[in-house]
Amino acid sequence: MTKQLGLVFFPAFDWMIRPGHPERQERLLYTRDQLQEEGIFDLPSIREYRPRLATIRDLQRVHVGVPSIRKLITPAHLASAGGCLTAADAVMHGEVERAFALVRPPGHHAMRVVHGIRGFCTINIEAIMVEYLRSVYNIKKMAVVDTDVHHGDGSADIFYHDPDTLYISFHQDGRTLYPGSGFPEEAGSPGAWGTNINLPLLPTTGDAGLHRLYDNLITRILEEFQPELILNSAGQDNHFSDPLASMMVTAKGYARLADKLKADLAVLEGGYSVEAALPYVNTGIILAMAGLDYSKVVEPDQSALRPQDPRCEKRIDQLIEQVGELWDHRLEKGAELRHRCGGTWNRNKSIYYDEEGILERQLETEHYCTRCHGYLTISSEAENTRFGNQNAFIVTLYRDMCPSCRAKARDEALRAKKSKQWQYVLVQDIATGEVERL
Amino acid sequence: MLLGIDVGGTFTDAVIIKDAKILALGKCTTTHGAVLHGILAALDKVLTGYDPAQIKRVVISSTIVTNALTENKIDPVYLAVMPGPGMNVEKSFPIPPQILKGYVDHRGKVVAVPDVEHLQKRPGVAAAAISGKFAVRNRQNEQLGAQVLRELGYQYVFQGSGLSGELNFVRRTNSAYFAAAVARIFQEFCSQVRISLAQRQITAPVQILKADGGTLPLEEVALMPEESIFTGPAASVLGIMALTPPVQDSISLDVGGTTTDIAFWENGKPLLARHGARIGKYNTAVRAFHMRSVGIGGDSVICRVGAEFTVGPERSGPSMAVGGTAPALADALVVLGQVNYGDRQLAAKAMQSFAREGETITWVAEQIVKAALEVIERAIQDMLYQWSIQPVYTVNDVLKGTAFKPRALIGVGGGAPGLINLLGERLHLPVQVPSGAMVANAVGAALARPTLRASLRADTTEGYYLIPESGQRQKLPQNFDKQQAHELLEQWLNTECDRLGLTHQHCEVVAEESFHTLHASRETGEIIYVEMQLQPGIFYRVQGEEAAL
Repeated sequence: MTKQLGLVFFPAFDWMIRPGHPERQERLLYTRDQLQEEGIFDLPSIREYRPRLATIRDLQRVHVGVPSIRKLITPAHLASAGGCLTAADAVMHGEVERAFALVRPPGHHAMRVVHGIRGFCTINIEAIMVEYLRSVYNIKKMAVVDTDVHHGDGSADIFYHDPDTLYISFHQDGRTLYPGSGFPEEAGSPGAWGTNINLPLLPTTGDAGLHRLYDNLITRILEEFQPELILNSAGQDNHFSDPLASMMVTAKGYARLADKLKADLAVLEGGYSVEAALPYVNTGIILAMAGLDYSKVVEPDQSALRPQDPRCEKRIDQLIEQVGELWDHRLEKGAELRHRCGGTWNRNKSIYYDEEGILERQLETEHYCTRCHGYLTISSEAENTRFGNQNAFIVTLYRDMCPSCRAKARDEALRAKKSKQWQYVLVQDIATGEVERL
Repeated sequence: MLLGIDVGGTFTDAVIIKDAKILALGKCTTTHGAVLHGILAALDKVLTGYDPAQIKRVVISSTIVTNALTENKIDPVYLAVMPGPGMNVEKSFPIPPQILKGYVDHRGKVVAVPDVEHLQKRPGVAAAAISGKFAVRNRQNEQLGAQVLRELGYQYVFQGSGLSGELNFVRRTNSAYFAAAVARIFQEFCSQVRISLAQRQITAPVQILKADGGTLPLEEVALMPEESIFTGPAASVLGIMALTPPVQDSISLDVGGTTTDIAFWENGKPLLARHGARIGKYNTAVRAFHMRSVGIGGDSVICRVGAEFTVGPERSGPSMAVGGTAPALADALVVLGQVNYGDRQLAAKAMQSFAREGETITWVAEQIVKAALEVIERAIQDMLYQWSIQPVYTVNDVLKGTAFKPRALIGVGGGAPGLINLLGERLHLPVQVPSGAMVANAVGAALARPTLRASLRADTTEGYYLIPESGQRQKLPQNFDKQQAHELLEQWLNTECDRLGLTHQHCEVVAEESFHTLHASRETGEIIYVEMQLQPGIFYRVQGEEAAL
């Protein structure tokens, strides 16, 4: 019998980044206590799953680690990514209507190329789930709605050239919060223009503002994109009590959003008000996803809740108009940009890994083809990693490449190898999850 | 001498055990209207020729509470709850609750005091239950409510946190409700037992078997009467422990006339369920073994619709092979040559009644047994699944895994011999059938150890520790650590043993957690949680051949 909600609860009580870090062992302790005390795990509409371990291959459908992804992760990362895959399987096998992977460590700041930990993340667990759904279940079009207060720059990086993954992130304006990116004009590379939607909100935006944005813009974009699946990067740090951000969303506001979004799969991201917010926000989201009454989920302590600044709504109305227009004209604009850039498109990136003080410089080149999705090359130089200074030339082979692109991509990798300019020359095959070191 | 009494669905058994030998055995028909009559009859049978003064302990495993619940002969209850914010619980309990405003948060802080002035006395209702969310972290609100309920004139008042120290508000509330609903019936049973035993000059302490396979004094169980449900399966598990504890990880099946009780064994011990037992549609906090009872037994009714056969869950009476009037599962086993009793001709007749043109009675019997085995196998699969989804809180748990892999089947109970052999073939597992399994339940009851379980949670930031089972909330001593937590809890368990007149036993740690915490206020501290128990089990094993009466 199909149940309403599958729940993978994995609090990783023995994993932390370091003592005193927000991403520490007891982050989900109070949430566990609340869920147990509420009797959530007994609800007939909920089926519990234990996470399995993801494989390196699962990770490499998304990531290229330097020197290798295996050397950068801990077993906790395999369990948290595995929890997402367990959730995906539960939904795809029809055992449950939807599923929530309430797991840590989180992932949405992890980009394709990984040199270390950034924004508490090493591997991008949602992206790993997306590529898994493509490989195993042949799902093509997916929408990822990121409700974390921080811009999911890792997810944006990974999906930037992918027209089949619509990535929508609302977050506190990057001028006031880590990681500093996520503005509307970062709308995707020419081949995927308009499928990377950024909605930067002003500090103190609360339930009213959030739902105004959802009802007047996000819901329309989702409807028009017609994804086969909707995924939610369910960060919870827009909560009014979060110590790292300045928004005013409540547990019920989050629950109502989950209710409207009706995501097929949700994955926990950030949220560091571990005592005052997480127990209630998670209860709310779970009840909403299970189709149960969440109207009685209220934080016992609302002393930190302040009204939304009047400027917030103005910003929201601006976004509704500006981003709405961007969305409506995405195809013409994308075609125009494609035409203008010719056979390749480049971007230079400077990436900071706050956790380890790594500075990475990338030149990313998207190679277009009229017959297939083409391929991607990345040259990456990183200073101050735990392996010292390192550089790599990376070639990413997309799914269903035509033989001529495959040959060209291979040639580029071999040329890079011959040049002796690179410590690592790595070829990532998304379809197989293999990363080959030349 | 130890005396054990097991009231089953069909028989009431009594045994006397001394020096690991079964000295005497009394078997009587269970008297459903008045369970006590059957108990006394069995008692009188078993006592013949023995000096009652030699009896050191009496343990009763009784269906009194289970029957009251299944026959719906329970008392009306007034239920008050303090759910605070969270899930809507209006429909979570067997009766609509009165909702009060009080609330305790997850750290045990009283956020709101209950509006006890809204508590009412319902005319004609003598039992009340009160339960609050996170009352196990702070009992204050619940105690206040209970006090008012007593003042209002309720004779039986139960608090959720008084029945279980574990987190799960809904389960504790249901436990409190059921405790209140059966309190009067259980108390009447207790006084009758006391009088009857006194009349027979038995002065030994009387204990009641609980669903977790442990015993507690009669008076103590009267304070938590819901704990005495489903003791039959628990007694059966203890019986297996006493007769032949499985050496390898196994599944035991106790096949009776009506039902088959299935349990899992690991390292020679039965597995306890992760959650409390379920009463009807309602989950409770009553600790029990990881068991399942399915409606398949020797007397199970057989139906055929088209080509489909179904067996059970109702009982059709004794099989035709032993003189019954309707075909039952045992008839199929007789026809297949799995059982050697009763009249083969009559069993064949029973199978013939289902056969259509061109079908042999052997084929029919095979279909019937297959249908029965499928029911049992489904239950086993579900139990395996339930066990496999045990929560995993640490990376270590994920890496280690908690899968249960049975290596053998153990069959007891006389309901359907042969069925287990066929199940073993189906599951590709070897089958063991211990001797003396016919009175396993009474043996299990006689030899059951007392159990106690308690937890301690200390939060150094708050500066207190709490033993929810006692309601004790005490200031933390200086430099408190894990070692001290263990000592404090063990000390409390030992004091409880003294109070209940139980011998001190080894306390084992069942669960343990500790966290260095950092709070929003930047305060640092430590949360330490320890759970300990007097291990359930039996005093000693009895010899197989003596047991084979």
